[in-house]
Amino acid sequence: MADPLLDPVPDLGGPAQPLLLVQNLSRHFGKKGSVVRAVDGVSFAVKKGETLGIVGESGCGKSTTSRLIMGLIEPSGGEVIFDGEHVGPGGMPLSVYRRQVQMVFQDSYASLNPRLTIGESIGFAPRVHGLSREATDARVRDLLAAVGLAPDQFARRYPHELSGGQRQRVNIARALALRPRLIILDEPVSALDKSVEAQVLNLLVDLKAEFDLSYLFISHDLNVVQFIADRVLVMYLGQVVEIGPVEALYREAAHPYTAALLASRPSMDPDLRRTTPPLTGDPPNPVNPPSGCRFHPRCAVVQRGCDIHVPPLADVSSGHLAACVRVGAA
Amino acid sequence: MSGDLVKVRDLAVRFVSRDRTVHAVRGVDFDLAAGEVLCILGESGSGKSVTLRALMRLNPAARTLMEGTVQVAGRDVVAASEREMEEIRGSLVSMVFQEPMTALDPVFTIGQQIGETVMRHEGLSKAEARKRALELLDLVQIPSAERRLAAYPHELSGGLRQRAMIAIALSCRPKLLLADEPTTALDATVQIQILLLLRRLQQELGMGVIFVTHDLGVAGEIADRIAVMYAGRFVEEGSVREVMRKARHPYTQGLLGATVHEGMRGKRLVTIAGAPPNLETPPGGMPPDICAFAPRCERADAACEQGVPALDGAFGTHRARCIHQIAEAVTC
Repeated sequence: MADPLLDPVPDLGGPAQPLLLVQNLSRHFGKKGSVVRAVDGVSFAVKKGETLGIVGESGCGKSTTSRLIMGLIEPSGGEVIFDGEHVGPGGMPLSVYRRQVQMVFQDSYASLNPRLTIGESIGFAPRVHGLSREATDARVRDLLAAVGLAPDQFARRYPHELSGGQRQRVNIARALALRPRLIILDEPVSALDKSVEAQVLNLLVDLKAEFDLSYLFISHDLNVVQFIADRVLVMYLGQVVEIGPVEALYREAAHPYTAALLASRPSMDPDLRRTTPPLTGDPPNPVNPPSGCRFHPRCAVVQRGCDIHVPPLADVSSGHLAACVRVGAA
Repeated sequence: MSGDLVKVRDLAVRFVSRDRTVHAVRGVDFDLAAGEVLCILGESGSGKSVTLRALMRLNPAARTLMEGTVQVAGRDVVAASEREMEEIRGSLVSMVFQEPMTALDPVFTIGQQIGETVMRHEGLSKAEARKRALELLDLVQIPSAERRLAAYPHELSGGLRQRAMIAIALSCRPKLLLADEPTTALDATVQIQILLLLRRLQQELGMGVIFVTHDLGVAGEIADRIAVMYAGRFVEEGSVREVMRKARHPYTQGLLGATVHEGMRGKRLVTIAGAPPNLETPPGGMPPDICAFAPRCERADAACEQGVPALDGAFGTHRARCIHQIAEAVTC
């Protein structure tokens, strides 16, 4: 096809080069005295074709991280490198970058314009990027079909006429409209009922193969992340505390916080009920976080010095890193 | 089944407005013994919250038509006057809501909100009320309780707010505690703390608890019995082990299969095709009542459209509303 908009942007760096590289990314909110370090020196990579899951509790900075990557808010420091090229002034222009990185939000209703039909919402970005009306219509129909919504039935409807699951399918179709290579999914199934959640997760698995995508999948639900992610990154108070392949991390969590998160999942088996909570208290306020290792006040295996030294990410095994003194020492 | 705390028979709740009628609850029967925990499990729109609110008559009075029998500790909730309801609410039955930030009053301190309840129901003096409030904050394990009494809701974290709401709910030692998704808005490490707290308080105080949730895992942690609700009716009821391990209704089996848990990586998730029915009266009047799940059910046949199946008690206390029910071991 001649129209460059109909095809995805070609791969530049080859399969070994990470699709997305995030380096020392930070975002601080507020003024002197009460600075919230929402994201504080976060670095990671998303490889081509993989799904990287980000988990953590409210206030850990996972959503801020996604918005920084998307360029929706300005970072206080650090950089984003996409397929080998620095994003921003002097590198890849945002307009080129945003074609390749798209986002799906948790609230399927708030993220659609209530005055546009489904077809208009999905076709909006292609039209802005200069695709002809006919080609846009054809693309909208293809996309609706791809996400399992009959085009004749849905293209002319408005968001309020759809169920939550259908709206989230529309949001996914819209994210696919410019043939992106990376999709950031910020709690995409958290607001859905269980039976609908399963449908959308199956769809995401299918679309990833069909459109050759990579995912950054943000969720607080560890079971969902275990199902969909290849690697998992755990955040606590704006920092990465552990990252690794999903099997290794779920089998042998190296950071005490990851272990506590995993142990906090309800058991589904009445004979395996817990009797004591893995952690006490709430996640602390990100204003004035604890000194040293930020987890030390809640940690069950805290040692001397944890309140002073900030542990770096250290190797647990190949590709599995954790920021805990006990990892470095062992 | 002993009905010594709660007895509900043929409960129907309709919401009526000028241009539509929604049949939210369409015939619910159950009993609850003192000290028992029943989880009502269902998806959005199934009628689980409406059922729960009916027990305290909290559905909006002007638009709600409520029929059937609802008795709590022998008191008739359907026929009670508004004044009697004020006595029943708080002292006999109380409720914990999903969103502590919207359920608590933002302009009063936690201490004032607990104090108000006990002064109103038990006629305590201000000093006595403060003492009781302190005891209650200790009971729900709020650290530095003295200081927290003077705190406003926005000054507390989500977990502490939910503990404060539980303290208010328990302030007059109710016999029945209703909980509407009380842990859904909380973080994972906090959710398990609140579940364990509720379970411990329920055992220590010997309360009956009805707990509404959409989360099978939460039900597994807290329930003695589970009732699965679909389109305004219970479709399955049994002990937590019976329902979680030997689900009989195709809807329950579908829910169990669709819930993502360990060991499902790389597999295709089971889904339930379609969506729950619309419970509004259609323009042509209500169609003949059939099994509400039949349009989405793989096992459905012509027999399923001959009326609503009974909640079948052929398996003792484990009952399902399906004429094709089979016991299938659903792994979880």
